[in-house]
Parts: sequence; C-alpha cells; structure tokens
Amino acid sequence: MSTRFWESDWFGPFVITLAAIIVVGTLNPSFLSPFNIQVLLLAISVNALIAFSQMIIIAIGQMNLSVGAIGGLAAISFAGMMQVWGMPWPVAAGVALGIGLLAGLANGVLVAFTGISAFVITLASLSIYKGVNLGITEAQPFYEIPDIVKSLGNDTFIHPLPWLVIPCVLAAIGLWYLLNRLPLGRSILAVGGNEHASELSGISVRLVVIVAHAISGGLAALAGIMLVGRLQLGQPTIGDDWLILSFAAPVIGGAILSGGHVSVGGTLLGVIIVAIFTQVLVLFNIDPFLVQVVLGGLILWAVGVNRWREVRAQRRAGQVQI
Amino acid sequence: MSLKRLITTLVAIGAIPTAALADPSSRIALIPGGPHPYFAAWEQAGADAAKEFNLGEAEYKVPQKWELGLQNQMLESLVTQGYNGFLIFPGDPVGTVAIANELADTGAPVIALAGCLKDPSDAQFCMGTDTGNSAYLGTKELLKELGSGAKIAHFTGFLVDPNTQLRIDAVERAAKEEGAEVIQVIADIDAPEPAEEKINAYLAAHASEVDGIITTAWVPAVVASSALRKIGDKRIKMVGIDHDEVVLQAIKDGFVHGTMLQNPYGQGYIGSYAADKLRTGCTVKADAPFKSNALTDKFIDSGTVFAGIDDVDNYVGSMQAITETLFATFESTYLDC
Amino acid sequence: MAIDVRHNQSDAFKDMMANTSQQDAPPRFSITRILLSNEFGLLVLIVLFATIFATISPAFLSKFSLYALGRTAAVNIMIGFSMMVVIITGGLNLSVGAIGVSAAMFSGLLMESFGMPWPLAVAGGLAVGAALGAINGIIIVRTGLHSFIITLATMSIFFGIMIFLTHAESYRGISPVFTGFGRMKLFSIISPLLLVTIVVALGLSVLFRFTALGREFLATGANERAAELSGIRVQRMITYCHMLSGVLAGVAGLMLVSRTGAAIPSMAGQLGQDWLLPAFLGPVLGGTLLTGGRVSVLGTLLGSFLVTMLTTGLLLMQVGAFWVQTYLGLLLLFAVLVDLVRRSYLQRRKLI
Repeated sequence: MSTRFWESDWFGPFVITLAAIIVVGTLNPSFLSPFNIQVLLLAISVNALIAFSQMIIIAIGQMNLSVGAIGGLAAISFAGMMQVWGMPWPVAAGVALGIGLLAGLANGVLVAFTGISAFVITLASLSIYKGVNLGITEAQPFYEIPDIVKSLGNDTFIHPLPWLVIPCVLAAIGLWYLLNRLPLGRSILAVGGNEHASELSGISVRLVVIVAHAISGGLAALAGIMLVGRLQLGQPTIGDDWLILSFAAPVIGGAILSGGHVSVGGTLLGVIIVAIFTQVLVLFNIDPFLVQVVLGGLILWAVGVNRWREVRAQRRAGQVQI
Repeated sequence: MSLKRLITTLVAIGAIPTAALADPSSRIALIPGGPHPYFAAWEQAGADAAKEFNLGEAEYKVPQKWELGLQNQMLESLVTQGYNGFLIFPGDPVGTVAIANELADTGAPVIALAGCLKDPSDAQFCMGTDTGNSAYLGTKELLKELGSGAKIAHFTGFLVDPNTQLRIDAVERAAKEEGAEVIQVIADIDAPEPAEEKINAYLAAHASEVDGIITTAWVPAVVASSALRKIGDKRIKMVGIDHDEVVLQAIKDGFVHGTMLQNPYGQGYIGSYAADKLRTGCTVKADAPFKSNALTDKFIDSGTVFAGIDDVDNYVGSMQAITETLFATFESTYLDC
Repeated sequence: MAIDVRHNQSDAFKDMMANTSQQDAPPRFSITRILLSNEFGLLVLIVLFATIFATISPAFLSKFSLYALGRTAAVNIMIGFSMMVVIITGGLNLSVGAIGVSAAMFSGLLMESFGMPWPLAVAGGLAVGAALGAINGIIIVRTGLHSFIITLATMSIFFGIMIFLTHAESYRGISPVFTGFGRMKLFSIISPLLLVTIVVALGLSVLFRFTALGREFLATGANERAAELSGIRVQRMITYCHMLSGVLAGVAGLMLVSRTGAAIPSMAGQLGQDWLLPAFLGPVLGGTLLTGGRVSVLGTLLGSFLVTMLTTGLLLMQVGAFWVQTYLGLLLLFAVLVDLVRRSYLQRRKLI
C-alpha cells in the first residue's frame, strides 16, 4: 500500500510541530537558542522512551499501567547499586535494564498465560514494583551519582545535541525497523489488529505478547536510568508522572488505542509537541493558576488540527477509526 | 516489622474493645501526608522520644501515596489498631479537619505537625513551620543579598495545596517591601521530571533577566540547585528550602546562597512528648502564648532558620539547639499538668 | 453471548469478563451460571479475605473498622460507577476526578457564598457534573476523536478552571445537616453514604436491565454501527452516558464533601488523578468490558469493595510501613488468579 507523505500518520503532528516552532520562535527568539534546544532535547529524549514503552503495548491492543513503576524501580536500582555497592555505572545500568526487562517479562508472562486483561495485571504489578521501590528507598533519594553519569545525563556531544539523544534515536530506529521490517513487528501489529485472526494464521500470540511487554519494560527502564543522569540523583518518585504522557504522545501521534496501528515517528512528534507546549507555558509566563487550562486547550487544539486528515482518510476508507 | 511487635499489637487490640481507654501506655502515631524525605527524621525522633519518655511507642506511619483518601484510611486503621495519640501532617489543611476531629472524639490528643489545620479544628495545637513566614523570610534573605530593584523568580509546589497560595502571597509581599519584583511564578512542580523540564526551560530563556530565585518546595529547590550548578551561573542568587543534600552541597560550592531550614526532628520529638502528656492528664494552657498564622491561632513555631554557606555544615547542631530551647520550656509554657 | 464486533481484546479476557452481563441476563435460573459468574467469584474472594483479616486481626471486625470501611468503600464504588457508565460505550472518562471536584466545589460555593439550602446546592453541584459530562460527550461525538484524548484534555481544563476560580481555597460553610449525614452512624456501623451508593446501584441496575434507554446505551457500546442501523441515536446515547458519568462523579464528590465537612480542591489530588485507579478497578474487576457493550453494576460494586477491603486489611495487619503497596499488588494478583482457577475448575467439571 503506497501512501503519500501527507497522508501518513506523522504528517499532521509534523505540521503542528513545525507551526509551533515557527510561532514560538518568532515570538520568543530565545526558544531557538542552542541552550534551550539542548534543554528541549533532554526532555524529549527521556519522554520519547516513556512514550515508546507504552506505544509497543498499544500496538498489541493492550495497556501497560506499570511503565512508570518499572522506570522508577530501574532508576533507584541503578542509583542504589552505584551508591551502596559501588558498582561501576555501565554494570549498574546493565543490571537495571535487566530488571526492567524482567519486570516487563513478568507482566507479559502473566498476561499471556492467564489470559487476564493486561489492564488488571499491570495495575497489580504497578503496585508491586512501586511498593518495592518504596520498600527499598523508604522515600529517600540516592545521592551519590558518579560524575560521569551526571555529565552523560546533561552534557552534549556535539553542541547542542545531548548524549541522551543517542539512546533515544537508537530506540526509535530500532522500533521503526522492528515494526516495519521484521516479521516479529508485523506479528505484533497483527495481534493488535485482530488477535483471533493472527492466531489462526499461525502467529504465536503468547510469544508476541511476552516480547512486547519485555520491550516495554526495557524501554521504561532505559528512560528511568537516563533520568537518574539527568536529575543527578536517584529519586524514588521517578515514574510517578509518566502514565498520562505515555498515552498522550502515541495518541497525538496517531496510534489507535484498540491496537494494530502505531507510528514511531508520530509518537516522537507527539512527545515533541507536548514538550514544546510545556515550554510555551513557562516562556510566556502564563499565570500558574491557568497553566493547566492552557495545556488542556493546546492538547485539544493539536488533536483537532490533526483531525482533518483523519476525516479524509475515513471518508476514503468508509470506516471509523479511533 | 518484628513478629514480637505484631503479636503484642494483636494482643493489645484483641483484649479490649475500645483500646484507647484501657491501654495503659501511650501509643503515638506520627503520620506524614505521604512518602517524602522531609519526614524521615520523624522516625528517629519518635523512637528517641519513646525511649526517653517511656512511651508505649511512637511509630512513624507512612501512607503509601500522597492521597488524602489514603491518609484518612490509614488514620482510621490506626484508631482500630488502638493508637491513642496522633501527630499528623495534614494532607489538606481543611480536608483533614474532619478526620482529626473524629480522632479527637475517641479521646486521643491530635496535634498537627509540620503543617497546620485550618481553624476551627479539634487539634490541640499546630507545631511546625509557618509556611508563609518561611517563604517570607527566605525572600527577605535573598533580597538582602540582591538589593532593591531585583527581579526574582519563584518556584513552588502543587497549587492544589492551599499552602502554595500562602507562599506565593508571602514572596510577593516580601518582594514588594524590598522594592523587588517577582517576574515569574512556576508552580505544580513537585515531581522531579516536570520540575527539571520547566526550570531549565525557564533558565534557558530568562537566565539573563533574572537576578534571584526563591524556591519554596522541596523538589523545586533540589532541581533548581542542580540547574544553577549546570549552567555554572553564580550571578543568579538562590534561596532554597529544606535540607536535601543536593541543596546543601550547592550552598557549600557557592551555587546557592542559602536555604530555609525546618526542624522535622524537633517536631517529632517534642510532638511525641506533648501527645503523651496531653493523654495522661495534662491540658493545653488557656493562656498559652501561641502564635498565629494564616491557618490557625494555636501555632507553635518549631523553628525556621536561614542557613548560608557559614552555617550549612553545622545545621544539625543549630536545629538541635532550637529543639532543646523549645523543649526546656515547653511544659511550663504550653501545658497545665 | 453478546455480539462484540470490536475484536481488539484478547479472547481470554473476554472469557474472563464475559460470563455475566446485565444485557444478556438469563431469564432462566441456573446454578452453574451463578457459580461461574464474576459476581459470585468476587463474593467468594471478599468472604475469603475478610475471614483471613478477621482471624489475624480481630479488630478488623470492630464497629469502627466496619463503619470506616463501608464509608470509604461507598465513595470508591461511586467513583467506579462514574467510570463504568462511560466504559459501556467503549470509551473512557479520565476527567471523573476533575468533574467530581468541580461539582463539589460548586455546591460548596452555593452553600457558603449564596447561603443556599443544601438540597438546592446539591442539585446545583450535580447539574455542574452533568454539564461538564455533556461537554465531554458533545466534543467526543462532534469530533469523532477517542474519549481518551478528549477527557485527558478536559481533565486539565476542568481542573485548571476550578483551581483558577477558587485559588485552591476551600469552602467550609457547608450546611450542618449535610455534613452530619457524612458522620452519621446507623446501627453504629453503617454509614448513610453506603446507603446512597446502594440506592444508586439499584437505580443503575434498573436502568440497564429494564429500561429501553439502558438497553440502547448497551447496544451503542456493543456495536455502534449496528445500533445506528437499528434506529438508535448513537451520538445522543454517548453524550447521555457522559452526562450520567458526570452526575455520578458529582455524587462521589458530594459524598466526600459530606464526609470531610468541606469542599476542598485537593480531595481528588492533582488534576483529580487520585480517582483514576478506583475508577477503573471496580468496573474492570467487576466484569465490565473495556471495549463496551457489557456492564455489571453488582460486579463493580463488589470489585470496588474488594479493593477497599484489601487496603484496609493490609493497613491493619501492619505489614511494614513502606511495603503496603507491594502486598496490595500481590494480593490483587492473587485474587484474580484464584478467580481464574475457580472458574476453570468449574468449567472443567461442567464439561465432564
């Protein structure tokens, strides 16, 4: 199926992003200063991983409520292993990533083998992972983060590109390749589109579900680890705020919550849009009591603008999506 | 949680229908609004007080999330478990009044700790930091450094917490008195991720226009300290709040001017002592010299001090000194025994 | 079995959730059917855990404990209902908390600033709930966007406007009659709030089981297109469901006002997010399909009650201050697995 670029998922969000950059950049030139671009990229890099972590589960038509809890657990494990056991940071990061993968894997196995909805399973595991986090930390942050981690979490390798952009870009490319080029990716989308039919066509639904959850856990853990570097401390509250963003970005980027249809580029643009809106509220000194109203309005506007394309697509296809 | 304690607890509960009346010893609970590093000192303070004043126990009980409903549920559960003295950080100054009154109705003394309940309530008194006053004094300290005509930014916590409005007003008032201007207030940044995003975005755009930063909540103080260190700008002066290591280190390294310390240990220690006294026959003096703040007329200041680079190493000592002074005269000043 | 053309949920999930529904409630009485039902399973779990808690900690059955449990559960169940009536259309309502708080604050305003008698103020609050729900519904049907994203945005907007207007100030001038209601103890263990919840539950049961409107709601959720073809005004039904959701959220908010004796902006947390988990837990545990078209009022009630009871029990057992959440998660997992085992056991026996 050949789609022209203006019909693809990422085109609507792309137009919004471009418009926002032009408008904000004109009104406030400091928006496009190298330092601000660096700040923006730091936020986007981590938030994109959070969104991808949810996106891969949306792709199979499920939800993962535990992304934040997994990210938080990985973050405090990463920081804790370095502080308490003096582990070198790459090892600690590797183990923390492993914890995230395992946590996701546990979600996937439970969902696949019990047949209980992912919503319920991940709700329970959210509670478990967050509880372990609190049990370990007793709400106290880990402070002793090696300088190299702090610097990787904040500095740039080529001005104004921060180091954190690298894992984000790699993850984006990897996911794009997985979903668009690999048989596994096609299986993931097929399961999301119609689980029964994909089962009949010989796809191992269980395996696909488990793999998707493991990927989700790994991505969430990666985001948590990166946040430790960016915040320069292992905060137990890392991840508490992720849930809404994790859904909003993929949905703004054209993902269909019932599964089978996600877009890596769209999700990335969704993250960028949310990051720009967040900045706008600060740059233009919006009354703090109105910030939430404006943010809500901007989200409505963004999805509204994106709508015309969908309406056209609908007319053509003669069916209702999302 | 030791098995022994579980058993003794169960025995204590099982033996008697209304535990509050029959249990001979004081069982004090210290309940924060949710998990937060600020309250960590309460655990030790409770344990120390229990040992020194021979209390049944003074336990630190943490609701698992910052949810008013969850705190209420925990308080109800503690009544059922037979606790008979309550030191509460109110999840909401108004919203916690009803449950505090219910607790008081069981005959247990209730003290608002670290933050106050809004009058009228059945709490015996409030001991803690006057949030508005702390913000006011912090701003004054900042402006002492900056002089008049300064432009300052204010970073604070959740707007849904009425204390945030008190802080915004106090900073505004102090700035006005000193001829300075609050050019921006950024709120709702009690979580580290959005705090980091917004504070850095602010500094990226406005670092050259702002002379000083006042932060009146824990997370913004931590994040702003790191942000100033990151951009390496020692021109911008900042006054933080509380004793997070990041903030203290930034003060030592000269990136932050100082911080407004509070006294959680003293609150927990003296609070446990007072709750025990009130339970065993003492009453609050009718003419006790309470202070007033925006929420209550029965306020005891547990101490707020500014710690700059000279005091930061010794802040624990200065807090202990305040605690001792307050404690030495506490009974004679506030209680009739 | 109901027709379910939305084929995006796992079949196993359907099996788990689909065993009962008000829509295809069997006219004939059947023991197997009851034993297999979600409601029965939840009841078993409730009895099981209540026994465990009461054995370990007898105080669990003390009058105050039961009273407090009922009162907390009453609100959580109502929040669950508020989400449930939107879930049956296949949508979500993330703004339940924001609507609940807004409605409660408006009632507080009417009572304190305008000195209105409490029944009028309550009506005013519920009207605000209905209006905000209607706004959600209208935007959703007009734009055709998923309710998730719309209510995500309106959550921010409703809550933001409420905070802007009130500046986080509470209303404490609540009528004593109204607050007395929240503190009253009937037979020293029953909170009147629980009765309100039960009355609403009965009302909702009647709506979905016996009225044409309720059946049209369910038909809309099961298959929008088919419902449209059979002459149901689908868009109107969706808007009605959101209005109903807003009203129920308002009821939950007002119950909290009655209990706290004040209308406070923080009663549902930042943006009203504290309500989201109880809102989903009840309906999902209770067997309401997230894809729409099925509803179980009793299931939602029991599901919400179970979760509230688990939390209370764990707090009482003093499992260690910082580990409560872990145990809650494990218990929840254990509960759904036990339910699964029970069901597969029964089904196997039935086959034999």
